Amino acid sequence: MPNLLEVRSLSKRFISEGGPFRKARSMHAVNGVSFDLPRGRVIGVVGESGCGKSTLARLILRLIEPSEGSVTFDGDDLMAKSPAQMRKLRARMQMVFQDPYSAIDPRYTVHRAVCEPFEVQGERPMADEVSELLEMVGLNAGLASSYPHQISGGQKQRVGIARALALRPSFLVLDEPTASLDVSVQAQIIGLLEDLRSELGLTYLFISHDLSLVKYFCDEILVMYLGRVVEAMPDTAAPARHPYTRTLMESTFSPDPSKRRLIAPLEGEVPSPFDLPPGCAFADRCPNASAICRKETPELTTDTGHAVACHHPI
Amino acid sequence: MKTSSMTARTLDAFARMSIGRAFASGIGMVAGGFLVLLVLVAIFAPWIAPFDYAAQNLMNANAPPGWPHLLGTDEFGRDVLSRVIFGARTSLSVSATAIAISMAAGMTLGAAAGYFGGFFERAVMTVVDLTWSFPDILIALIFVAIIGPGLTSTTFAIAIAYLAQFTRLTRAQIVRLKRETFIEATINLGAKPSHILLRHLMPNAIAPVIVVGMLAIGDGIVLEATLGFFGLGAQPPTPSWGAMMSSGTAQLFLSPWVIIFPGVAVAVTVIAVNLFGDELIRALDIRDRLRGS
Repeated sequence: MPNLLEVRSLSKRFISEGGPFRKARSMHAVNGVSFDLPRGRVIGVVGESGCGKSTLARLILRLIEPSEGSVTFDGDDLMAKSPAQMRKLRARMQMVFQDPYSAIDPRYTVHRAVCEPFEVQGERPMADEVSELLEMVGLNAGLASSYPHQISGGQKQRVGIARALALRPSFLVLDEPTASLDVSVQAQIIGLLEDLRSELGLTYLFISHDLSLVKYFCDEILVMYLGRVVEAMPDTAAPARHPYTRTLMESTFSPDPSKRRLIAPLEGEVPSPFDLPPGCAFADRCPNASAICRKETPELTTDTGHAVACHHPI
Repeated sequence: MKTSSMTARTLDAFARMSIGRAFASGIGMVAGGFLVLLVLVAIFAPWIAPFDYAAQNLMNANAPPGWPHLLGTDEFGRDVLSRVIFGARTSLSVSATAIAISMAAGMTLGAAAGYFGGFFERAVMTVVDLTWSFPDILIALIFVAIIGPGLTSTTFAIAIAYLAQFTRLTRAQIVRLKRETFIEATINLGAKPSHILLRHLMPNAIAPVIVVGMLAIGDGIVLEATLGFFGLGAQPPTPSWGAMMSSGTAQLFLSPWVIIFPGVAVAVTVIAVNLFGDELIRALDIRDRLRGS
């Protein structure tokens, strides 16, 4: 089965220019990320806020230009496309955004918002297509004439999903689609996304900071720390090998009271992403760090398909 | 075709939603009613004015208010009421035209600067800010020097005087809106920059610009009167409130009505414009967005 998406050493460096009173600084928001996404699979990307997950999503969709690296979508090298070709191609790769509250123009009705994808691509929706789309995402067709401020956050997110699905894409980037919703609504949206996936044969890149949600929802997991993938788990049930992933997993609450335990919080702060020193970025917070960790940056290596970037994997 | 019907629909919705609500309060009704009346007077001036505004009658010069000259006559015996009525035409049309030009140019420049950013933005904003450092009178003088005194010079002078304000305000709105998720979402649907600008950024940015434009018409009337007062605006015998006041200064004590009535017309109109503008701000609920420009 060919890969729908191939990402190769994708990097994004932001550089702030120096001036008379400040030094020039650079930060690697995303640093050498590579992975394959086979058709029909769901890859989850987890990490703390600021680790570059959302930047990675925008790089893959070429909403921002990468500093290095390539993205191949369905055999097409995205970086070689002209703006016009890219606009055409966007119909096949869509995104659901983190904040449904600002993801719809406040002056657009639900109907107009769902029609917009067709309008933008120079198409015309079929007679019932808009109401079919609304029905598909579990919205009452009667809401079509409502404005965003008249509907709930969950409904807004459903409108966002309907907009994303309007052009029949094969690939969807879900950028924390449930992060700003109530827990009960989160479950509905996740259920909807699961149904849509099996119905429409979609491929997802699911971005989240919620490790237990990612383990539940995804086939594979990429763990990011300060712009780098530190662990790639092809099997979500496998035990974590990177100390960072391990601590991340141990800091999730278990719903079962009998499994209650003391949570060992992750010590220290994420270091400033500006001008990172050499060595493993996690070394300062890592219980297993040794001298080599502060000198050499560990590469993502694998022996069994379960890759980890650590000098002392567990 | 599609765009024009869209514009019509937007304007229609705008009228129903905002201007309608601005009329709802007592102040808004009085001020707005006065402005509507003034516009009607300006349009139908030839039918309303009791006399020809240019007809001289030196035998009856400087007649005090009474019958048949309700507001008296000036030093040439011309009817002051008729001249004030025709002056409304000059003042309103010059100010409205100038502000319309200024708004159109300012919105275009501001939107382009805010949207494209970078060097283009800096260049546009520097030039636009430069116009702010010239006194309005000086800009008017430059135009008078180039194309001679008259309403065209006045119009361009007023338009340039307000250009910076509209450009800065529009740019600030666009820069703020550009960061919204729905813009990124629409780009991700494959939208062209023109779609983003015309269908999302401008419609969301326009409300505060319209309010500021409304208020600027009041200032434009004062500026037109000022330029007219200095003889840089309307040339005789075209009546303009400022020019009338200017000629009235010569016989300020002999026949004060010549200067008082056009002065009152300017004052009342500008107060009405400002009060209505305030109501419009309240109706649109955009007080916070008018700052930050």
